[in-house]
Amino acid sequence: MKLRILLADDHEIVRRGLCALLQKHEGWEVCGEASDGREAVEMAKQLKPDVIIVDIGMPHLNGLDTTRRLLEHDPHFRVIVLTITDSDQIIREALDAGARGFVLKSDAARDLVSAVEALQSKRMFFTPRVNDLVLAGFLEKGHAISRTEAPNLPTLTAREREVTQLLAEGKSSKEVATVLNLSTKTVETHRSNIMRKLSLHSIRDLVVYAIKNNIIQIQMPPQIQRPTETTVA
Amino acid sequence: MKSFAKGFHETASESKNLMAVRILLVDDHPVVRQGLRTLLEGRTGWEVVGEASDGIEALEKVQSLHPDVVVLDVTMPRLNGLEACRLIQQKQKPSGLEVLVVTQHDSPQMMREALDAGARGYVVKSNAARDLLDAVEAVSQHRLFTALARGPQASR
Repeated sequence: MKLRILLADDHEIVRRGLCALLQKHEGWEVCGEASDGREAVEMAKQLKPDVIIVDIGMPHLNGLDTTRRLLEHDPHFRVIVLTITDSDQIIREALDAGARGFVLKSDAARDLVSAVEALQSKRMFFTPRVNDLVLAGFLEKGHAISRTEAPNLPTLTAREREVTQLLAEGKSSKEVATVLNLSTKTVETHRSNIMRKLSLHSIRDLVVYAIKNNIIQIQMPPQIQRPTETTVA
Repeated sequence: MKSFAKGFHETASESKNLMAVRILLVDDHPVVRQGLRTLLEGRTGWEVVGEASDGIEALEKVQSLHPDVVVLDVTMPRLNGLEACRLIQQKQKPSGLEVLVVTQHDSPQMMREALDAGARGYVVKSNAARDLLDAVEAVSQHRLFTALARGPQASR
């Protein structure tokens, strides 16, 4: 019986690349492709895949919250998180969310097949940096890294995190209500609660919070290096 | 006459589709290069002649492989795509080579930067599956193609 894999990434071009990579492996099939976290959760419920590969920076519901939601629905789901960065905070959150694999997107061509093989054998797969962090936490504190080492932030509910992401992506309360199938009034209540819990005063503050806490990710433009005599209008 | 006209049209269309285009793919993520390759190799006559993972490698491969079109990412290590594009234009413009920028940046400002650097086309990665083939076809015929996430502009 084939190993069934669900892919979730908002870029079709990346999904095509991942598909090509995974389908070379005999005995594996990509049983579904989702373009955001909410779609991934719905597809996982229907398709019951053996392994789910989740990009962190997805619209509507980011990969970390998608992982949390998948495992709330079924703790037996095996999730690999794909990320563009392996900062300490991202690693902690991914482990905390319950991911069993952690692969850098830049290394996916090299590591993803190994990660899926590991999960197929009921093992975990992490980058060397994750292993170092876990080991350092164990040696220094006498126990594995835990949530308590993360910044001491007020706890948002899963729904509040979802509303935070959608607002930070630039959606109005009405648009958020449509996406989440809630009334605008309910969204406004969530919004007020979020602002109060986090002591924020504007949407700008909320966007900054969302970026700092990996709820949304932004792509920085490259540092343009030009000869000093070349001035830009 | 009618059937001749139809036959002539088909022949012209086929010859357009079969026009050979040699393409160099430049992106620091191998998975993205693989995704771009699967899209481009579906088109008869188009050939991905090489891949590069940063701007410096791109310059070397432009020299050695002589592609018709360079599909170029912006954010890359060592030498970013905009600088690579400028250098390619300085060295290769007489050869008729064209650069198509394919980037995460859904930004009119970045698009202007890319065109100023000499790119003939600009496509946003999130919509590459929608726009890439049209864009490569346009730039390979030295026509401008620009498309932000909301859709292609009438600039061809």
